[in-house]
Parts: sequence; structure tokens; C-alpha cells
Amino acid sequence: MENLIEIKNLHANINGKEILKGIDLVVKPGEVHAIMGPNGSGKSTLSAVLAGKEHYEVTEGTVKFMGHDLLAMSPEERSWAGLFLGFQYPIEIPGVTNVNFMKTAVNEHRKQKGLAPLTAAEYLKLMREKLAIVEMDPAFSSRGVNVGFSGGEKKRNEIFQMAMLDPKLAILDETDSGLDVDALRIVATGVNKLKRPDNATIVITHYQRLLDYIVPDIVHVLYKGKIIKTSGKELALEVETRGYDWLIKGE
Amino acid sequence: MENNYIYIPNDPQQEEFRCRVPLKDTEQVFVVDGKGEKMGLNLGKGEILPQMLQVIAVRSRQAQEDLSYSTDYRLAERAQAKVLLCSHTLSMEDFTTHECVNVELGKGAILDMVVMQNEHNKSKHSTSFKVQMEEGAVFNLNVVTLHGGEISNEIEVNLNGKGGECNVNGLYLADGQQKVSTRVNIFHNVPECHSSQLFKGILDGESRTSFSGKIYVAKDAQKTEAYQANNNLLASRTAKAYTQPHLEIYADDVKCSHGATVGSLNEDELFYMRSRGIAKDEAKLLQQQAFAYAVLEKVANESLRERLHSLLESRLRGEFSECANCSKHCC
Repeated sequence: MENLIEIKNLHANINGKEILKGIDLVVKPGEVHAIMGPNGSGKSTLSAVLAGKEHYEVTEGTVKFMGHDLLAMSPEERSWAGLFLGFQYPIEIPGVTNVNFMKTAVNEHRKQKGLAPLTAAEYLKLMREKLAIVEMDPAFSSRGVNVGFSGGEKKRNEIFQMAMLDPKLAILDETDSGLDVDALRIVATGVNKLKRPDNATIVITHYQRLLDYIVPDIVHVLYKGKIIKTSGKELALEVETRGYDWLIKGE
Repeated sequence: MENNYIYIPNDPQQEEFRCRVPLKDTEQVFVVDGKGEKMGLNLGKGEILPQMLQVIAVRSRQAQEDLSYSTDYRLAERAQAKVLLCSHTLSMEDFTTHECVNVELGKGAILDMVVMQNEHNKSKHSTSFKVQMEEGAVFNLNVVTLHGGEISNEIEVNLNGKGGECNVNGLYLADGQQKVSTRVNIFHNVPECHSSQLFKGILDGESRTSFSGKIYVAKDAQKTEAYQANNNLLASRTAKAYTQPHLEIYADDVKCSHGATVGSLNEDELFYMRSRGIAKDEAKLLQQQAFAYAVLEKVANESLRERLHSLLESRLRGEFSECANCSKHCC
């Protein structure tokens, strides 16, 4: 099957400092990948570079997303192409309601596909359906984007947005950070419900905990901007009990 | 009914003007080059204006000289009125207009005034609002400056009777070489009055805006509550917003505050929206609408408020500058 994403020898700088030092990664449809690694290893930089955040400079390497040059695309074009980034720290946008935000996003996606915008009733139906996936109250939709949301609500909102946009590849950056057990379960269940043979997920995480709920096919350990180990899901458990030191020493 | 909203000039060369804000329960009157059959209001004791009065002031090429005129809004004890003042330019001459709006509110009188300014790029229009308020009177003013060459609004409110309340708010949009200046002076001359000011500006291009707001609290105006805020959003690097908040307080038992900010579009918010597939320009538009929201929400009349939201959107989309004479385009 065709690769969803092919990252080859990716190097990236921020403020002149090299953070990614040659990443290679291939994700196929239907797969769940986990990227683990200690603080400062470049996990969040990788997700930011893939989503197209400004101020990150790619100095070497290529990223192909469904056959297209991802790095040449704007953040919105990446979204239209089917890439989704679940933020570690979702942004609050006071004054823009959730409903307005998501409706605009969904309709921009539809416009790109040559589809007519959803009517208010159609949108409402879709929204209610997707909100149920993350057990969110429809009342939230009239509130400002993430404004006054708890940590758990923000992460649930990320998964709700993912459900609405139906991406081919979702990169979930530390989606488990700041979640209590219940919220973790809801978020993970949501992600699992969205899993299909034609889409894929990259879960970026510090801890094994989330991987009890979202079971990865392949686990990578990122350290100092490079993937130093790739293995099956048992690697996550090994990291949990032994830490990263044994891997780092092997480097 | 429909004809009420159209101004047909005597000069056949001149295009007619059609107001596109036909609001329900509104009496509409035209003031052409400073002249009109009905200018201002004079309401007796307890008289309540049944409909909103919309005064559409237009400048035409029939009078190109500088113009100054004044209108009076006198509301006696317990009288109530809602007024919408619009100003437009019908042709591209370099108009200069000086306008004075005098407001006198008797005891317990209530006046809601919304001002909508939409003139062309070379038009200069200065308006001076002078307001006198007696005991328990309420004055709500929302000034929405959508477009114009050099727009200046001076607002002076005198709270002369206990329990008076005034809320003056404004939203100004400027781009290109446009200039908008706002000066507000609120005089708390007596105790137990309440005033609030919220002015917001969205600036693009090389526009310049200034805001100077003063709250004056006299020595015996105890229990005064007065608030003032001015926030500016710069959408370009070359726009400049000047802001000067002033408090002059001689009483010692008051609640007063002021705040002023000048900022640019939030990069993190923009990236978040774009990562969800909202194109950059659309994301900027959402941010600007969100910024302006708090001011427009203070307009009490729902259909007018919605109309202003949609005018704001077309203004921010640059639709006003597409036609030579913007005023015909929008309302």
C-alpha cells in the first residue's frame, strides 16, 4: 500500500540551533506509531515542522505526504491534504466561538473538495455526532475556542476537531499531558473510534500510560533529534521499566 | 415604504442613494448637505419616541464648500428615544464637514444613539458631541467608524445630576492613509454617577488613529464609578495607533480604571486556525471580528447589531474600497 508519509533525513533548526538531526520515518495507512523520548529530544519540534509552524527552518531532507511535497505547503494546505496536529497546548481564541471556528474550518475543507458549505442544520448534526465521540456537551460550542476549558476539555476538543476534519494522518503531540485517568480514557477511546484502515496516527508521548489505551504497531525512540530505536509495542513497556538510559548508552 | 429608504437627488447627473439598512420600526430622514426637514429631536415630558429615528446625512456635489451645522436632541424628563445617525458621501469631492450634536437629557431621560460613519477616502468629517445629563438620565453612544479620509469624533459628557449613567463606546477601522481621532471627556460633576468607555480600533496599511480619553471626577462627586478602555489591533507594521488615557480625580471615594493597549495579530492563534484548514486571510478576519465583537455587542438593537457585524465583515474583506464611492456600496 502507498505510504501516507515518508520522512527522509529531516534536519530542522530553530533560532539557528539544530533540533532535528536526520529523521527517517515511514507511516502506512492503518498504522499507529508512537514516538517516545526524553524531554528536549525534538518530539514537539518534529510535529511543529510537519504541521508547518513558522520560525522552524528545514535545512535538509524531504517529507512526502501522500506523494506530495509537504514542506512546500502552507499549514492550511497541509490540513486540506489530510494532516492533523493535536496540540500539546491548545490555543485559546477569545471572541471566536467553537462553532464559528469549526464551521469555518469544515467549510474551507469542503470548498477545497468542491463541495457546497454545510447548512446550519447539517453542521449541527455532524457536530453533535462528533461531540459524542469525546463525550462533550453541545453547550460548549457557543463558548470561545478553548477559553476557560480545563486541561481535559482542551484535549477532548482537539480530538473533536480531529473527528470533524477526518484527517488521513493525525499527529497527537503529548495528548496525554495534563489529563486525569478519566479524561485519558475518553480521549484515547475517541482516537480509537476514529481509527480506520485508510488512516493513521502518530502518537507522541512521554509515557507508556497512553499506549495502554492507544496500542501502537510501531514504537520509535527519539533522542537528540534522531530516532535511535524502532521496534514493536513491547519497546514502550521496556522504556517504562528501564527508562531511556540503556538506549542512550547504546548510541 | 420602500421609497423611504431612497434619496433621489434633484440633479439627474447624481446617482440616487439607497439605504440598505432598512430596519424595522424605523423612521428614516435624510439630511442633504446639512439641510433636512427634520433635524434633531425635541421630546416633551414622558414622551417616548415610538420608532427609532434614522438620520442619514449625505454630502453631494451640489454643495462642495466646507460645511458646518449642528443638531439638537432635547429629551425632557423621562422621555426616551433611539437614534441612528449615518453619514455618507455621494460623490468623490474633497468634502469637509463640521458637525455638532448637542444632547440635553432631563431627569430620567434615556437616549440610545448609534453613529455609523462611512465616507470616502478624501472626506474629512469632524463631529463634536456635547452632552448634558440631569439626574438619573441614561445616555448610550456607540460610534462605528467604518470608512473615511479623516474622521474625528469629540465626545463631551457632563453628568450634572445624581445617578446618571453614560456608556460611550466606539469601533474604528482605518487602512491606507486614513486617519481617525477620538477624544472623550467625561465630567463627573456630581456624586453617584456611572460612566464607561470602550473604544477599539483595527488599523491596517499606513493608517493613523489617536484616542484621548479623560475621566474627570469633581471634588464632591463621591461614589463615582468610571471605567475606560482603549484597545488597538495593528494588522500591518506601518499603521500607528496613539492612545492617551487620563484620569483626573478630586474625590476620594470612587471606583475608576483605565487601560490602553496596542497589539498585533496573535501568531499562535493564527497558526492554530491555519492548522485546522482555515486559510490565512480567513483566520486574520476571524481574529479581527473577535476583537471588534465586544464593542458591537453593546449595540442594543439586534437587527442593527447584526447589520453592523456584517458591515464589519465586508469592510475587513476589503469590499468597501473596491468601488470608488464606498457609501453606495454598503448602506
